[in-house]
Amino acid sequence: MSVAEGRTEEASDVRPARPSRMRFGHPRSPLAWLRPAVWLPPAVMLAVLAALWSWGARRLPYLLPPLRDVGSSLTGNPGYYLHNALATLGEAAAGLGLGFAGAFVLAVLTSELLLVRRAVMPVAVVLNVTPVVAIAPALVVAFGFGPAPKLIITGLICFFPILINTATGLRSVPQEVLHVYRSIDAGRIEVLWHLRVPYALPYVFAALRIVFPLSVIGAVVAEMSAAGSTRGLGTAISVASSMNQLPVVYASIAVLALMGVALLLAVTLVERRVLHWHDSAKD
Amino acid sequence: MRRAYGAGRSATVALDDVELTVPPGRFVSLIGPSGCGKSTLLRIVAGLEQPDRGEVLVHGVAPAEACAAKMVGLVPQSPALLPWLSVLRNVTLPQRLNSGAARRRERIPGLAAREAAAPARTVQELLAAAGLGESLHKLPAELSGGMRQRVAIVRAFALRPDVLVMDEPFSALDELTRESLQDQLLALWEEWRTTVLFVTHSVTEAVRLSDTVVVMARGPGRIVETVGIDLPRPRDEGLMRERRFHAYEDLVRDRLRRAWHSEAA
Repeated sequence: MSVAEGRTEEASDVRPARPSRMRFGHPRSPLAWLRPAVWLPPAVMLAVLAALWSWGARRLPYLLPPLRDVGSSLTGNPGYYLHNALATLGEAAAGLGLGFAGAFVLAVLTSELLLVRRAVMPVAVVLNVTPVVAIAPALVVAFGFGPAPKLIITGLICFFPILINTATGLRSVPQEVLHVYRSIDAGRIEVLWHLRVPYALPYVFAALRIVFPLSVIGAVVAEMSAAGSTRGLGTAISVASSMNQLPVVYASIAVLALMGVALLLAVTLVERRVLHWHDSAKD
Repeated sequence: MRRAYGAGRSATVALDDVELTVPPGRFVSLIGPSGCGKSTLLRIVAGLEQPDRGEVLVHGVAPAEACAAKMVGLVPQSPALLPWLSVLRNVTLPQRLNSGAARRRERIPGLAAREAAAPARTVQELLAAAGLGESLHKLPAELSGGMRQRVAIVRAFALRPDVLVMDEPFSALDELTRESLQDQLLALWEEWRTTVLFVTHSVTEAVRLSDTVVVMARGPGRIVETVGIDLPRPRDEGLMRERRFHAYEDLVRDRLRRAWHSEAA
């Protein structure tokens, strides 16, 4: 990026403006989905998988429900799935928000105060490799079946990727940029806000792309661990599987998958907006 | 002045016994082999490092104080532009930050008079003069390497600095771009006559730009000779083909070679 930008060798001082990124047929443009080369391979792949599923469902009816049953469960009772999906999404979003706020503040502290960095980072790395889902039952015992353990688990799962990425990003300001702003004696807060935070944004978005799906996992695991909870897709899955209602189980899983895709899409769209200046938002 | 890295026997002495006085309004180049401490000297003047012994004064005040009053304009080797800001905002951001500097400037003796002598130019005018009038709202990634370095130079001038500190700003550019940036720098400088400390590897560049060329040697870093360049200004391309220009080039090159041999011996 900017470290190397002074070293590019250009014979001419003038360069034509970069062509528009959103033209038809561009790999990243939404209109690219009109091209068969783009939509055909995944469509064929899906058809093959569906055929395999149907074949399996005929051979092993106790393990795989027919796709038709899964579909009719979804269309027959959409309110049920919507209600539970919103509950899970709400827990995931709230936990993510908490984890993000905590991790971001701590990341700023580690970048500004060497002592905090030395104290926090080794502990963070150890906690990061501890599977948080394993703590879920203990948290349910401690905090009961209400929203508290769900928010804590989701928050914890999201916490470390955001902390580590943001802390790295805040320190990614090129040396020469720092020199320029130190030579005008810019204040710490000014350097943080005008240099460190913008340079950290690509790292923050990379973390968000990891953490959005993780937040859904956290919420589902928390719901499954809290045997008495009444809402959420995790609850729906564990209740339905205990009653051997396989179509409901798979319909819930399908809704979860759709939710994950939608979240990922949302992050990507916001990222392209915010980081239009960054390489990751191009090609 | 002395500056060493590390301590004890493994210490590397980057600069030892360096003494240099630059009269205000002079264009001074530092030239010498890699490791002669010319960049270290520059970083000390820009307040980015402290000397171990001795002192540096920028117009009578310590570098830290000069930076606090935004008297130092730094142009590093890479343009060091912020990739999310337009050309215009890259130039104006350092003006907006450290807003306490205006008050501190008033307390620096003689600064007000020097500032009054500098031409009153808006950032837009400066950018237009640098050939960036069409690119005010472009992002750095949309510019060529040469254009980006022009923005970095305008960013430094826009601070109305008392001292301009430039660390090999043209070394990454090709020959033609480099010459056109030298033209631009000279044009700006002749209008402003601010004090310049310019680090370079190129003998031609040093002779073309400077009033004084300071030749340095390494092991430890020290000044071996100061060569005054007595050539008329403005220095256009024609001058670069004249014999007296080549004579100065040969002189500086000879001093450099001698410095090289003295350290080898």
